[in-house]
Amino acid sequence: MAFLDVLMLGFAEAFTPTNLLFCFIGALLGTLIGVLPGIGPTATVAILLPVTFFLPPLAALIMLAGIFYGAQYGGSTTAILVNLPGEASAVVTAIDGYQMARKGRAGAALAIAALGSFFAGTVATIGLAVAGPTLSSFALSFGPAEYVSLCVFGLLAATILAHGSVIKAIGMVCLGLVLGMVGIDVNSGSTRLTFGSTELYDGIDFVVIAVGLFGVAEIASNLEFKEARGVLQSTIGRLWPTKQEFKESWAAVLRGTAVGTILGVLPGGGATLSAFSAYSVEKKISRTPEKFGHGAIAGVAGPESANNAGAQSSFIPLLTLGIPSNSIMAMMLGAMTIHGITPGPSVIQKQPELFWGLVASMWLGNAMLLIINLPLIGIWVRLLKVPYRILYPAILLFCCIGVYSVNNRGFDVALVILFGVLGYVLRKARCEAGPLLLGFVLGPLLETNLRRALLLSQGDPLVFVERPISAVLLLITAGMLLTLILPAIRKGRKEAFEASED
Amino acid sequence: MIGLGALGLWAGRDLRFGSAAMMGPGFLPDVICGLLIAFGGYVLVKAFSKAYEPIGESNIKPLIILVIAIAGFAFMSETLGFVVSTIWLLVIGSLADQESRWREIAISTLLLTIFGAFVFIYGLGVQMPIWPF
Repeated sequence: MAFLDVLMLGFAEAFTPTNLLFCFIGALLGTLIGVLPGIGPTATVAILLPVTFFLPPLAALIMLAGIFYGAQYGGSTTAILVNLPGEASAVVTAIDGYQMARKGRAGAALAIAALGSFFAGTVATIGLAVAGPTLSSFALSFGPAEYVSLCVFGLLAATILAHGSVIKAIGMVCLGLVLGMVGIDVNSGSTRLTFGSTELYDGIDFVVIAVGLFGVAEIASNLEFKEARGVLQSTIGRLWPTKQEFKESWAAVLRGTAVGTILGVLPGGGATLSAFSAYSVEKKISRTPEKFGHGAIAGVAGPESANNAGAQSSFIPLLTLGIPSNSIMAMMLGAMTIHGITPGPSVIQKQPELFWGLVASMWLGNAMLLIINLPLIGIWVRLLKVPYRILYPAILLFCCIGVYSVNNRGFDVALVILFGVLGYVLRKARCEAGPLLLGFVLGPLLETNLRRALLLSQGDPLVFVERPISAVLLLITAGMLLTLILPAIRKGRKEAFEASED
Repeated sequence: MIGLGALGLWAGRDLRFGSAAMMGPGFLPDVICGLLIAFGGYVLVKAFSKAYEPIGESNIKPLIILVIAIAGFAFMSETLGFVVSTIWLLVIGSLADQESRWREIAISTLLLTIFGAFVFIYGLGVQMPIWPF
């Protein structure tokens, strides 16, 4: 009954008024941001990261997590009603969801999306609760060599599963690693890559990079062209789905949940990949594939469940191994570090209230989202009419004050400019900023453990191959690299992504 | 695929980073920078061997305006205080949108400045002077 005990502990933590409040604020803010096209969850988390420094650690994590899955929910509302996905993971929802809205079944599409997401969120949270302790006790036996292999594996896997060119993604990871090395070297005490600037001695702050790359760069590229908005389908119709619609979607919800939970754990996976995969699964399994793209409810139910499940289960590697699987998780890691928590296997043992409180709050947050989204849908629809030109100055202000407040100095704000421009150029060059952030966050971990491992083995690099877990991880990494080099598989990957982008 | 110009930029920046890193101590920076140079070079070569493909339309005016707005905030915040720098940030920043209207800018700047001062400076205790004096 130890499992029930810790779960009770978690709920006791999550049910304190403060935590409940921040869970609600997070979910609400997330939905708000998700509904508004043009600002994604990554940017939101980056902008609000500094605000959470003023909160107690658990409340801060609960709120950030709430923003993340709230945004997944909110994105689908926009996708269904306006045919404009609020985030990448809602792109596939727009295909069939918008068609349903045009047929006057927007209500049903929204309800199925919300119910499916709630179910998926519940399952994935249970998955996290079950897998967490098991994985982390396994990970406790990891030595420095295993951590090095795990970092390499995580970084490479993330680049392979990411969209776009793999070479560029690896380049981005390297750039991130280099950026992570700026500042005083812990071992030797000498400065590296500071270009003689004393302000850089402490390294570049994580928030600065995140806000610059995702916040400022996003605003700049959104403002580039005049707003393009779809036609709003204002008639929502009856909310409750018909019996027939239920029958068509429950299996899709189950499959979507399974796909999402598994893919979310993979590095580089998470919500977007899950949604795309679930859509193609549904299309393949369906007896009436010709209905897809013309308002098939399974095409809404599957991806929506999958993206929510993926969002929840991407917490698994972060909370158990301390390895973030995508850029949002990298930001969660940054938030934890700033609060003095070292993410990794020891969190569950040493701070059980933190882990279980977060797990419990995720479930509560999902339940809250159901309430926020369905009865209040009218408010969100009205919100869609607020023009971007009024919104973005506020976002800009939040970015600047947030960054300033980290160290109370203007220099950090000036650094944001640099990363904002960098982020903009990277967007133009179609390089993803996500791998860069991953590299930046994992850089110090990789370096410390690499040094430690080589110190223990007295400089013998064979240590990585001799330890079994480490060897297996490296073998998988090598296998992945090999598949990339083989042209046939490369073509297959390209096709898969092209199909998913259609 | 990718615009040649953008790629050149990308690789070029990597190279600069790489050579600067060699002065630092430690083993990993050198290795990673070496990798960066290699990948940068590879992408550059690949870009040259392919036909030129345009990056697509771009409009960097908003970016430049944003940079000016944020730079102003960065330099004024510590000395001139919150109110002055925020108004600068919001007014200049608002110009980045082609459709901005003066009346809207004025109202939203006023509201956001008051809101920001209360929430961040008084509420959350961010250490920034409010007035220039």
